Amino acid sequence: MKSVTTTVIADNPQAYEDQHVHAVYEEIAEHFSSTRYKPWPVIVKFLSNLPVGWIGLDSGTGNGKYLPLPVERPGSVLTVGLDRSRNLLQIAKHAGSELGTPVIREVVWGDVMDNGWRAGAFDYAISIATIHHLASYERRRLAIQRLLQCVSPAHGRVLIYVWAIEQDELSKRSIPVDEKDGAVPFGKDVFVPWTLSQQNASQGKPRRRQPTSDQQSDPSEVGVSQTTTEASTPVYNRYYHMFAKGELTKLTCEAAEGMGLVVGSPEGTERRGVEIVQDSWERSNYYIELRCWKT
Amino acid sequence: MVRLITHNLLACHVKGCTSNNFPLKFQDVQIELQEADFNPDMITNLLPRLEWGALVDAARLVGDTSLPPEQPEMMDDDLLRKLHHVLLEIHVVEGVMICPNCSHSYPISNGIPNMLLAEHEIG
Repeated sequence: MKSVTTTVIADNPQAYEDQHVHAVYEEIAEHFSSTRYKPWPVIVKFLSNLPVGWIGLDSGTGNGKYLPLPVERPGSVLTVGLDRSRNLLQIAKHAGSELGTPVIREVVWGDVMDNGWRAGAFDYAISIATIHHLASYERRRLAIQRLLQCVSPAHGRVLIYVWAIEQDELSKRSIPVDEKDGAVPFGKDVFVPWTLSQQNASQGKPRRRQPTSDQQSDPSEVGVSQTTTEASTPVYNRYYHMFAKGELTKLTCEAAEGMGLVVGSPEGTERRGVEIVQDSWERSNYYIELRCWKT
Repeated sequence: MVRLITHNLLACHVKGCTSNNFPLKFQDVQIELQEADFNPDMITNLLPRLEWGALVDAARLVGDTSLPPEQPEMMDDDLLRKLHHVLLEIHVVEGVMICPNCSHSYPISNGIPNMLLAEHEIG
C-alpha cells in the first residue's frame, strides 16, 4: 500500500492546487466518483433537519452525492452543487438518478474561493471534504468567509467537513507525525496517492466497489485484479491539508471575526454573528456546524 | 440543465464589479422544457429567497411571460404552479449570461454554467 507523504508547498498556492488538486480530479473523476457513494451520517442529519423550501449550496459538490438528500423528503429542499472539476460535475448533474429515470440537479462550474452568488441568497451551505484541498491558511479562511457571505445573515446554516490528522482505526491511511510535534496547531500538508489502474482508465469504470465501511475510502486501494503491473499504473498525488485538533474551529472563528461577525450566541448590542451549533470529530474528519443570527 | 432558480442566485464576481452585478442577462439561449413534480409548500417557502423582478425578466428572455411583473401579495394555486414552471421546468442548455455592469460573459454549455474567471479578473 502506498503511504501518505508529507509535502511542502513550493509554488504559489493557486498553481499548487492546479497541479495537485484540479488536474488530478479531472483525470480520476469517474473512478473517484465510484468510491464516493456513502453519505456521512452527520451530513445526512443536517440535510434532513432543513425546513421545506430551503435552498442551499454544496460548495465542492464533487460527484453530487449530497444533492439528492434528504431521501425521505425528495424535492423538499434544493441544493445547488458547485465544483471546480467539470468531469465530476457531469456526474453530479444526474446524481441520484435511478436507471431509466434521469434526475437533473442544479450544478455550476466554479471555484469555492469565488464570490459568484447573490449575497445572503442561500438558506444553507455545506462544504464537505473541500477546503482541505486549499493550499494556504488565507485561502482556507477565505473559503469559509465565502460560505458565510452566501447564506442568509439572519438564519443561514453552514456545515464544514475536513480530513483530520487523527485517523480512526478503520481508516487505511496513516498520517506521518513528527515525534517532536506534540500539539500540532497548524495541521499538516500531505500528498495522498491515488492509483488509477490501466483497466479503470480504459473501461472508465472500476471492476468492484469499495467495501461499504469506507467513510473515508482509502484512495490508494483500487478494486481491480493484481495482474495490473506497477509500471502501467499511474499514481496521482492529491494535495491535502490535514487538520489538527481545534484547527477547523479556530479557522472558522478567525474567518467570522474577519467579516465583523461575533462568534457566539446573540446577546447585548451585537448585531450580526454566528453560533457554533456543534464541532467535533467523526471517523477521521473534523466538522463544524454554524448558525448565523442577526438582531 | 441549469434552471432559472439557479440563475436567480448567480452574480458577477469580476474584480471590481460589485454593484449592478445581478442579475446576469441571458443571451442566445437554447432551452428545453422538462416536467418536475409540483410541491406547493416548496414553492411557497422558496418565495422569500427570490428576486422577483430578476426572475420575471429572465423568464421573459427565455420566452415565458406567465408571471406578473410585481410579486403578488397572495399566491394562489394557479400562480404557484406558474412559479413552479418558471423556476424548475425551464432548462437552459446552451447560451451566455452577461453582466449588466461590466459586460463579462459567462457561458452555459451542456447545461452547466461556467463561472470561472481568468486570473486577472479575480477580485
